[in-house]
Order: sequence, then structure tokens, then C-alpha cells
Amino acid sequence: MSSHYEAPIREPLVIGEKSYHDISVDVGAPVLGKANKSWWIVFTIALVAFLWGLGCIIYTVSTGIGVWGLNKTIGWAWDITNFVWWVGIGHAGTLISAVLLLFRQKWRMAVNRSAEAMTIFAVVQAGLFPIIHMGRPWLAYWVLPIPNQFGSLWVNFNSPLLWDVFAISTYLSVSLVFWWTGLLPDFAMIRDRSVKPFQKKIYTLLSFGWSGRTKDWQRFEEVSLVLAGLATPLVLSVHTIVSFDFATSVVPGWHSTIFPPYFVAGAIFSGFAMVQTLLIVMRKVSNLEDYITLLHIEYMNKVILLTGGIVSIAYITEYFIGWYSGSSYENYTYLSYGAATGPYWWAFWALITCNFIVPLTLWVKKLRRNIMWTFVVALVINIGMWFERFNIIVVDLSKGRTPSGWTMFQPTFVDIGIFIGTIGFFFVLFLLYARTFPVIAQAEVKTILKSSGQRYKRIRESGESLAGAAIDERTSGKYVSGEDANQTKNNE
Amino acid sequence: MKSLIKILVILVVLVSFTSCKKDSVPNYQYMPNMYQSVGYETYSESKAFANGVEAQVSPEGTIARGHSLFEYENSTEGYNLAKETLKSPLDSTQVDLDNAKVLFDIYCAICHGTKGDGQGNLVKREKILGVPRYDDPARAIDEGSIYHVIYYGKNAMGSYKNQLSEKERWEVVAYVLDLKQKLEGTK
Repeated sequence: MSSHYEAPIREPLVIGEKSYHDISVDVGAPVLGKANKSWWIVFTIALVAFLWGLGCIIYTVSTGIGVWGLNKTIGWAWDITNFVWWVGIGHAGTLISAVLLLFRQKWRMAVNRSAEAMTIFAVVQAGLFPIIHMGRPWLAYWVLPIPNQFGSLWVNFNSPLLWDVFAISTYLSVSLVFWWTGLLPDFAMIRDRSVKPFQKKIYTLLSFGWSGRTKDWQRFEEVSLVLAGLATPLVLSVHTIVSFDFATSVVPGWHSTIFPPYFVAGAIFSGFAMVQTLLIVMRKVSNLEDYITLLHIEYMNKVILLTGGIVSIAYITEYFIGWYSGSSYENYTYLSYGAATGPYWWAFWALITCNFIVPLTLWVKKLRRNIMWTFVVALVINIGMWFERFNIIVVDLSKGRTPSGWTMFQPTFVDIGIFIGTIGFFFVLFLLYARTFPVIAQAEVKTILKSSGQRYKRIRESGESLAGAAIDERTSGKYVSGEDANQTKNNE
Repeated sequence: MKSLIKILVILVVLVSFTSCKKDSVPNYQYMPNMYQSVGYETYSESKAFANGVEAQVSPEGTIARGHSLFEYENSTEGYNLAKETLKSPLDSTQVDLDNAKVLFDIYCAICHGTKGDGQGNLVKREKILGVPRYDDPARAIDEGSIYHVIYYGKNAMGSYKNQLSEKERWEVVAYVLDLKQKLEGTK
């Protein structure tokens, strides 16, 4: 059995002596088991944060936007900063599940499920902000081109804010469908493994009657590929459209043609950082270290390094163009000499430190493969990417073309409370997800077990046969080789 | 069976929506943000004033810009004085008889008749009696007296100064004189 060739240089993606059955057991364990104390503690904290944020949102909507720290010059601050930040975080999920699928990256299989969940939960958080930052959110349905009694008054399709509506809603729905399609075989696995009647009923409903026939799998693969092909341009266009909110304006520092690719790179940069933050914890608490290995973390660090490099080049470009344009207004943009020395110097240097200097440490292999350091860097990048959006929005607005309009921005507790609330909501969703959803696409991981599993690699490399190696004694009894089987038959 | 239930549910929802609307009262509103005026609207009610209405009478003796006083009294003496001395401030080029006809037909013809012969609609239907002809020699109306009558009214006729502006009154005066000449056959 040496028909399969895999380069010996490749490290295993599934480590330990795993069989198919082990994968089902390991993936099913958090869902079929009971939550422990620490889960409840973290969940309660997240829930409290969410409820606090909800209170802040209700306070804002019922009292008015004036409870935020916005002023007449700076009409966008934490609201849109958080919006772009959350949308950006969401992008890693689709990148992992779609782009890496197109590139046939097998390592995506252990992380794609959680990354997509993160996408969906992050987009939900992002989707809150366009609504609640409205002065009259109860008229938000006016952004939709619905035939109406105002002489069929429609929206203006020239505004990137309207494109945002289409981009975000399409992004959310496509991601959701893509995610759910991938979940069907895994829900079916949980359905078949659960013993409690209520749980079985629930997963029967969720799995849509998946029975795993050849034709089903054939179409499943096809749909996955088509959706990946659709999601890839989507992931690039969504954050491009978000960047158009700024790039199509005439505000110095916003009006920049580099924004679309730069925002997308930044989105992937921050998204992967969030994936790292979550998965480093999750692999530990859910005992999935054999599936989300150090290799996965290193691969993701490499993507972070690449996109961080792209973002850094964009920073340098912005800084250079700020000087090269010769426009005096460009001296106060978020990446300029004026910003570095102005009243928002701390935000400028936070950006440079978090997004440029700290990620550079990942060039060192030792640090790249150090889980603790990766976790720290990922957190720092999340903070840095928040500052990037904050700088673009607030620093650029604070010093516009007319000096009489120059001002500073001071957030109120409501601004901060809503942001904390979205973080709480995100973790409420993610924690619930981690306990009820198969967090690893076990069906996919099973497809790479024999090619990339440590056990099978070892068998192959030692020149032994893989025949029967997948049989699990717990489910199929002891494997008997062909000769032995004949022997048994003859004896009978 | 299932689709029947669905149709029924939709029907019930629709009926319950439409049955909430009553024609005798204003309909329900969704978020009436700027539906009610914050500022005072002219004819609305208001507790801010003693008589409960926004429209307050201006103080006695004040003259608004673009307006003038009418210095003839509301009495027989005033009427006679106006008949003798009051002349139209409009010359022939300023009188638009087409416009005057429109005004006359709206405000005057209902009693006086479109020809000024005292045979208006209300007279024909005997709702009102005793409307004189413009060529009544006993009255011998002229522009000053017509204006005085439009301004103050006379006998059964009420004042029309609230319906017509000063220029419009003088235009109607010119039109009435025109009708009078047509009735007398001098034109």
C-alpha cells in the first residue's frame, strides 16, 4: 500500500494514534458532555458584559446619540471603529474556509469550523453598529429599496453606506450557508452519537437528514467548492466596500486609493489574530491539541506575518504619500509626521508598535512556534488593529481642512459600554457554539487522517501496509489480515 | 389541509390589521417624529392664549407694512363722504378686468348675479331677496360708494374686506362699474 505519495518533509496535521473513531469521540466530547465550572464562570462574565452592553444600546437609542462622545466635527468614532474592527475580524473565517480551500490547504480543516463561527459571530457584532449609530434606527428599513407609499421613494445607490448594507448582509448570509452546509455531516455524527432523546431530536433537526450517501458527498463537495469560489471574491469585496466608506470621501487621510487592498489585508491580519486568540484557548480547554497543532498555529502565524507585512507596506506608503503629495492637509492624517507628534501621538505609536513592530517577532521560528508568545502577539494585533481603525477615523476627522473645526474626541461610558457589550455578546455566542457545535470539521479531518495523520505517516514511512490500519478495535473488533481470515474460515 | 391553515392564518392577520383602522378617527401612526408641529400653527388651538387659539388679533391702531388705513367711517355720513370724495388709486392700466371677473364671480355673483342685475343664484332660488340692480338709479353707485360697501357692507350685505385685499377690492370696483355701464347700455 504505497500508492499514496506524500512528501516526507510534511509534518503531520493530526498527531497521536488517532483513528476515525477517535476523531468522532474527541470532536463529540464537548457537545455530548457537560459544561464544567470554568465554562459557566466565563459564560456568566460574557453574559453580564453583553447585558451591560444591551443596556447601553437601549439607553443610546432611547435617549439619543448625544450620550456618546461624538461632536460636530467627529461624527464617527467608536461606533464605526468597532464596526470596521468586527467586520475585519470576521474576514479570517471566510479566508480560511474559502481561499484556503481553493488553494487545497489541508491544514485549514482543523480550524475552519471555528474560524467560520468566529466570522458569523463577529459579523453579527459588526451588524449592530450600523443600526445603533443611526439617529433614528427605527427607520433603518428605509435603506432597503422597497416599493412604498412615498411615490416609491428609493435609496440612492451611490453611497458606500448603502453598499455596506448589501455587502454585510450578503456576507453574513453566504457565510452562514457555507458554514451550515459544512456542518451537516458533523451534526449527523453528533445525532448518531447522542443518546439523550432530546439532544438526538435537536441534532436530527439540525442535520437535515444527512445520510452520507455517495451522491450526497459528491454534491456536498461541489457545493463547497462553488461556495468557496463565491466567498472568495466576497471576502475581498466586503472589506473593500467597508474601506470605500472612507476612501470615496474627500477627507484628507480618508481619500486614498490604497484603502481597498490595505483594508482587506488588515482584515485578514486582525481576523487571524482573533482566530489565534480563540483557538489557542480552545484547543486547550476542549482537548483538541492533537487536531489544532503547533503546526496549525505556525501556519496561521505565517499568514499573520504576510498580511502584517502588507499592512506595514501600506503604512509606509501612506506616510510617504502624505509627504510626497505636497498637500499641507496631508500632514495631519493618521499616518503622518503631524499625527506622530500631535495630540493623538499615543494612538499613532500604539498602531506602529502593535501592528508593525510586535508582529515582526514572528519571523523568528522559535517565537512563531511558541504558543504563549503567539497568544500575546495575537492579542496585541487585535488591539493594534482597533487602533488602526480608530486612527483612520478619529485622527483624520479631528484635524480637517478648517482649523476652526479642529477638536478632540472623548468617549463616554456608553461608547465603551457598547463595545464591551459586543465583546460580551461575541463570547456568549462563541461559548455556546463551543458547547453545542462540533468545533472541528470531523468529516473533513477524517479525509486527511490517512494522508496527514501522524500514525499513518509513521506506518507508511516504516514501509508497512496501511491495509486495515483504520479499523478501530472498539468498533470493529480486532483486525485480522487476509491470511488469518482464510484460516478462520477454513477452521469453521 | 396545511395550506388551508396557512391561508386562514394570513387572512386572520390581514383582517385584524384592517379592522384596527377606523374611518371616524385618525389612523394609527408609526413613529410620528415630526408629524406634530413644535412651532405655533396659525389656526391651531393653544392653551398659551386666553381665548384658546393661536390666531390673535393685532392691537388697535397698528398698521402693518404694505397696508394703509381706511379713513371713512362705517356710517351713512361715511358712505356719503366716500361717494363724493373717494377715488380709485388704480388707473386703467392697473386694472385687470379678467382677474376682477374671477373675483366678482367668486364673491359677489352668488347674490348680485354674474351680470350685476341682482339675479344671483341665491336670489333665483329665493334664499335671499331684495338684491338691487347695479343700474338702480335711486342708488346711483359710484366707485367711492362701491368700495365703502365692499369694505363695511350695507344693510343685509356684510363686509368683504377679509376676503379681498385692497387692490382686489378696487379691481372689483372697476368691474362693478363696468357691469353697471353694460346694464345701462352706455357701453
